[in-house]
Formats: sequence, C-alpha cells, structure tokens
Amino acid sequence: MAIEDPIVTGLDSGWAHINAAQLSESQTLEADVVIVGSGAGGGVAAEILTQAGLSVIIVEGGPLKSSSNFNMEERRAYPDLYQQAAGMKTADKAIGIFQGRAVGGSTTVNWTTSIRTPEPALEYWSQSKSVEGLSRAELDPWFEKMEQRLNISKWAYEPNRNNQALKQGCEQLGWQHTVIKRNVKGCWNTGYCGMGCPVNAKQSMLVTTIPAALEAGATLVSQAKVMKLEHHNDKVFAVKAQAVDDNMKPLAIEVMFKAKHYILAAGAIHTPTIMLRSKLPDPHEIIGKRTFLHPTLLSGAVFSDPINGHSGAPQSIYSDEFVWQNGADGELGYKLEVPPIHPILIASKTIGYGKSHAELMEKFNQLQVTIALVRDGYHENSQGGQVKLTENGFALDYPLTDAFWRAARRAFASMAELQFAAGAQQVLPISEGMPYLSSWNEAKKAINEMELAPLKTVVASAHVMGGCPFGEDPKVSMVNSFGESHYFENLSVMDGSIFPTSLGANPQLSIYGITARNATRLAEKLTA
Amino acid sequence: MERRTFITTALAGTACIALGVNYCSSDYIAVNKGLDDKHRLLFSVLVPVFLDGALPDVATLKRDAINRTLDAIEHTISILPQDSQAELEQLLGMLEGRLGLLILTGSVTPLMMRNQSELIDMLQSWRTSYLDMMVTAYQGLRELVMASYYSSPEHWSRLHYAKPSFLEDRP
Repeated sequence: MAIEDPIVTGLDSGWAHINAAQLSESQTLEADVVIVGSGAGGGVAAEILTQAGLSVIIVEGGPLKSSSNFNMEERRAYPDLYQQAAGMKTADKAIGIFQGRAVGGSTTVNWTTSIRTPEPALEYWSQSKSVEGLSRAELDPWFEKMEQRLNISKWAYEPNRNNQALKQGCEQLGWQHTVIKRNVKGCWNTGYCGMGCPVNAKQSMLVTTIPAALEAGATLVSQAKVMKLEHHNDKVFAVKAQAVDDNMKPLAIEVMFKAKHYILAAGAIHTPTIMLRSKLPDPHEIIGKRTFLHPTLLSGAVFSDPINGHSGAPQSIYSDEFVWQNGADGELGYKLEVPPIHPILIASKTIGYGKSHAELMEKFNQLQVTIALVRDGYHENSQGGQVKLTENGFALDYPLTDAFWRAARRAFASMAELQFAAGAQQVLPISEGMPYLSSWNEAKKAINEMELAPLKTVVASAHVMGGCPFGEDPKVSMVNSFGESHYFENLSVMDGSIFPTSLGANPQLSIYGITARNATRLAEKLTA
Repeated sequence: MERRTFITTALAGTACIALGVNYCSSDYIAVNKGLDDKHRLLFSVLVPVFLDGALPDVATLKRDAINRTLDAIEHTISILPQDSQAELEQLLGMLEGRLGLLILTGSVTPLMMRNQSELIDMLQSWRTSYLDMMVTAYQGLRELVMASYYSSPEHWSRLHYAKPSFLEDRP
C-alpha cells in the first residue's frame, strides 16, 4: 500500500531545504531567527515565529528522513534516526541513552506519550529553583493549545496486551493508573512509533510544525552540525555549523548563520555541548551540570498467552502510584510504563549469551516488559550527571547514587509484584545474577537480596533533561523563565535542557507547552 | 593463512603488561591487518559462542546466518561515532594480539585455537569480573553481536516474529 509522504510532496512544491552534505562550497545564510535543532522545542518555536511573520532558518545536525524511509526495521531506524545509532551511553557505559537525531528530533522516534508537566515538579521549580510564571494554571492554556495542535487525546482503543498487563496489575493491587494521551491522528495501531511512524499518524514535529514553518517560508538546513556560537559582549553574532555525511562524519563544508536572534534547541546534551564549545560566560559554572535522565529499570515477565509486545500502540497505560509517594525531594520515586518489544531492543537490553539468551528470545512473543523511570534531580543524593567536552565530542558522566539504587530495588519489587498480580508465570528482573522468579513471595526475597550495581543492572534512558536550567536567579540558572539568556540579549534556549530537575513524566508535552509560551513571547518582542 | 599469522607472531616484551591497557592497545602484532582489517576472523570465533542456541541448527543455514552477522557487524562498526569506534578498535586489536590476549584472558593462545568451553569461560570471566574494563569489554562485544544478529529479518524465525507486511513498497 502506498502512503503519501508529506515531506516529499512539500519538497516537490518548493519548500526551502538545504542538505548541507550536498553543498559544494561553504555558505552564509541569514534570517530574523536561527533555530538550532528541530525537535520538540525547535519545531514549535519555528512554527510560532514564522506565523508571526519572522524569517526563520532551522538548522538540524541529523538527516531529513520521512515516511517513505520508515520501513519498520530497527537496522534502518537506529542509524538513521537516533544519536549514535541508538548506542549512546554515559561515560562509564552504565546507562544506554535513546535520543533522536534527525529532522523532528526525538519526536520522530518517541512513543507518543503526552503528559502535562506534573504539578509537584512545577511547585518545586517555583520554590527551590527560582522559576516564575509557570504554575499549572498559567501553563494549562499552553498545554491546551499544543494538545489541539498535535491532536493529543486519550487513547480510545484497547491497550495492547503489554499495556493491558500493566493495567490489570494496577487494578488487582489498587494502584493508580491512567490511560495515556497520545499525539496521533488516524493511528494504525501497529507499534512502530520508535522507528519513525510509517503512516504519518504520529503528530511529530516532522509532519506538523516543521512543514507548517516551511510552508510559510522558513528554511530547513539538515546535516549541518552546529559547532559554536560566535559572540561578543552581550550579543551572539553568528552560528557556525559543519556539514556532516550520512554517518555524521564531518565534511569540509562550513555553513555560517547570521540572525537577529538565536535559539538553541538542540536537546539537553547538545545545547550544553554547543555552549561549552562556544565558551559562553558561565560565572556560576552551571552549563552541562545537573543533567537528568529518568534512569530506567526493566523487568521481564513470561506470560502463558501471547503478549506480542511489538504490536499495537507502544504506550497506552502508565502508573504514577510511586512517583511522588515520598514528596518531591524525599526518596526517589518512579513511574511505571511499558516499552515496545522489538528484536534488537530486547536482545541488547537483556543480559547473558548463548543458551540462556536463546531461551529468553524464544519467549519473545510471551514476554511482557515493565519499566520504572526513576525521577531524578530532587533528592540531595540525586544531582544528575554532567556533560563535558572531549577531543572528538562530548561525554556524559552520570553517577548512579545510593539513593538511585534504593529506588531501583523498590522499583524491581513493585514491577515484580505488578507482573505477578497481572498473571505472569515468571518474572525476570534485568540485572546480572537474577534467575527467573516463580512467585511474588520468591521475588520479594530475591529482590531484597539482589546485587545492584552499575554495569550489572541494565539501566536505560529515553529522556534527557537539564544542563541549561531556567530560573530568575543567575546563581542557579543560565536562562530566565522565558528561556532568555541571562548573558546575551539575542539568545534563547527552548528545549528539555531548561528543566532544573527531571519531570517525573515523559517530556514531550512539557517542551511543547513551555516552548509555545516562550516562543510566543519572543515573537511579540521581535515584532514589536 | 590467518592461523599461521597468529602462530608466527613475534613475542613482544612483557614489560609493558605492567603499564596497563592503553600503552599496549595500539600494537597490532598478531593478525596481518591487510588480510583481516574488519576483524571478521575474530568475530567468526565469537559469534557462535554468543549466539549458541539462537543460530539455526542446520549447518548451511547456520553458516549463512554467521556470515550475515559478520557483514552486519562490519557495517555497525563503520557507523559508530569516532570515540566508540576507537575504543572498539582498541579492544579488538588487543584480542588479536598476544599481549592483549594475555592481559584480557590470561593466556596468549589465539581465540580461534580455543574450544567452545574455553571461550565460554573467557566471556564468563569478563562478565563477572570486578574490573569495569572487563565487564564493558564483554558488554560492548555482546551488544555489537546481538544488535548485528537481530538486525537481519532472516534471523527472526525463532522469535516467531515478522514486521507487518502492509507496506510492501518499503523493503
């Protein structure tokens, strides 16, 4: 069946797109606003600023790929659409990080879960991080606006069997659970959101705000990796980018961008990296610090009936039973969700080799997986990680602290209890040394005694936040509550790097809503 | 040919063992790089151990699956970022050199001359090592082999999995 590819159609109609890898000589491009990054922040900002009549250039390091490239195979999606072919890790290799790297950023590959910023997070930012004007009441109109724009609504169909197990477990145990709101329109319920939506149902930036901006005259430059901002006194005067080939290897072509205003929206790793490379003033040594990951634990469960976790909307139920249980800055809480189950994803995020691995993979279709996303950045023993420059790029140091491991042990127990309550025959906490467990009683004892440690326990992340926090106090923030630099009059930051802590919720809608607010204010200022 | 290259390798001084991994990592003394610059020989030894029980039982199918996996590994390595590629090359170089083998496995016997149970013992000792370097070596190789193997739709039959077929225009 042929599906129309709106990007191909748009390009044919004359959208301004430059693939920097195909340039034969270095160039300089100018606009009112240059936006670095095309994900949740950059996409929303691009649409709002072009609608306000400003000329906009969107600069993206990754490639422009669209539905005709999305063939539902991990071997194509990971190298095309993810940072480091989905193999990115923290410096000690204890946490694997999934982050998008293509036009649309992580929105091109996320699992569509859309949650408004939790109130305890906003209250904590207001009370402890000098963030102003971002109460839920003040933000709700912006969330409503973006929910309408991206067709975000409660998933109206049966959850797939993987999510159903989460729901059943919660029902059995009387735990809080919620039907997830998803940014989809005409979803086919196939389960391949993480490899780029093959039917353009997911309302990612790739098929919504970026096409709208291009339609209104914006220019998109892809495969242009921004290296640094040129600045003098309190003004940025250029952005320098290097063309990269399809494997992100640098080419000898440089593209320079000049604008009245610059927006960094390169995500919580690359925004700080660009700032560090540019040697921006940072008297309180904030840039790149307090990077948060929602470090995530996995628990497998074998059911007697088919789970087929590869099929159907990947996330449709979550449980917040344990997220805020001990208050914002008490013992770390965790959110319970499920991931989609695909061959490479499951083979690489489990442990062992040879016979034990083969036995696990033979249960591929009976395997239910629950994940616990740990809410980092509030407790005094949870200060996150740090992005640092290396000779060839960056490294993210993220120490997994005692407070994290205490939460991990509780999370493994909650997941096992839930999975048995949902009818699992066996539960397998994904950590070295753990056997298949056959009952909740057995699991409770084994998890209480299990060894938890970096590299022994599988820890993953799909949410990178922080590193360039917002707030009114320059001692703890780089930008103000509107994302405007404390040091440069023509620089803003609009992405997940502005969060002063993790969110305790999947981040896309927080970035959409807050960016909509901040980009609207910027548009007003620039057109005044 | 490759086996002979392994066997006739010149002995390097043992002094640098004490200096640790980094000093020794750049030497590439055992395998003639011109003959095997993609580490296929090394992985042809490791892949059947990592994937024992997951590979097809029929010999010809098994051989084809291993070859496809070796191709995929080569491709995966080629798209790694510079830092990861350098780290991996360092590890693979060590596993192809006597000195590196001695450091990582406690023996200079080339991997392709070790039997299945010796190779399992080696992986197991890395996996359970108290040295993070050994554990990351094990995990790095494991992830590379697993991701490369399961990248091929031909290898999904034991999973009873296939991608949806409604988009036949996108092979």
